[in-house]
Amino acid sequence: MANDDPLEARVIARVQDGDAEAYDTLVSKYLPRVVAIAWGVVRNAHDAEDLAQEAFVRAYQNIGRFRLSEALERTSDPFGPWIGRIVLNLALDVLKHRRKFRHEELAGAEPAARRDDADVMAVSNDIGTRIDAAIEELPEMQRLVARLHLVEEMEHAEIADLTGLSEGTVRSHLSHARAKLKEKLADLYD
Amino acid sequence: MTDDEKFFERLRGDAASLRYRAGDATLARIRTRIHDRIAFGPTTAMPTTAMPSIAELLASWFRPLAAGLAAIALAAAIGLTINTNDSAFGEEKVEIVMGGDTYLVDD
Repeated sequence: MANDDPLEARVIARVQDGDAEAYDTLVSKYLPRVVAIAWGVVRNAHDAEDLAQEAFVRAYQNIGRFRLSEALERTSDPFGPWIGRIVLNLALDVLKHRRKFRHEELAGAEPAARRDDADVMAVSNDIGTRIDAAIEELPEMQRLVARLHLVEEMEHAEIADLTGLSEGTVRSHLSHARAKLKEKLADLYD
Repeated sequence: MTDDEKFFERLRGDAASLRYRAGDATLARIRTRIHDRIAFGPTTAMPTTAMPSIAELLASWFRPLAAGLAAIALAAAIGLTINTNDSAFGEEKVEIVMGGDTYLVDD
């Protein structure tokens, strides 16, 4: 979510001082990305929408605990990794819950009433369909890391920050994922 | 750039198109719901930096006090138990049965 914004720290400080209106700035800036991250994990527009909402509300409730000066040492737009972590954890909880109750949702089976025509569905062509299917077949952590790297175009450090894994572990998951993806998609770029 | 690297560069380029992009109406709806929950929600009236309530203030005073009293009571109870055991040990009588007769011997 690298997108340098020197004003962001001031906005966070205002929200920490109780200025709820200032929070809209952060919501507007990060909402599309947060919905995309949630969708990448839960693969359902309805759940992604709910998760994004929940993540922003929780972030607001806990913004007093957000250590702004510490976060600023790593990046000038510190809210991005934080809200990304919150939504990712919520989305992974949903996955665990689904697994627990053996509730498997079919791709594209989300309630139509909650979908907007302007939403761009992830898979729009044959190459995309094949890549998407290959990523989905990967084991969970490889799938998560591969999706964040390939689809969300995040770098290793960013993924490590978001997932709580070390950079080495991210590289390792990605390396395994790459090997499997190359095996499955070798004919794609001949 | 190796063949492997080229493969993944192209893969990354195509995979980027898989990103889910919520439409403007969806984003506006989520934004409104977030705003409503923050502004009017029962548990979200203020961020956690807000002043604590009177109940929270009293609890923060009484919690350590109660913990201290509980520790003193526990120490006293343990002390009493040890003392009681010591005195009971001295008063015990030993019963010896020999040839059909029973003898009681003091400590």
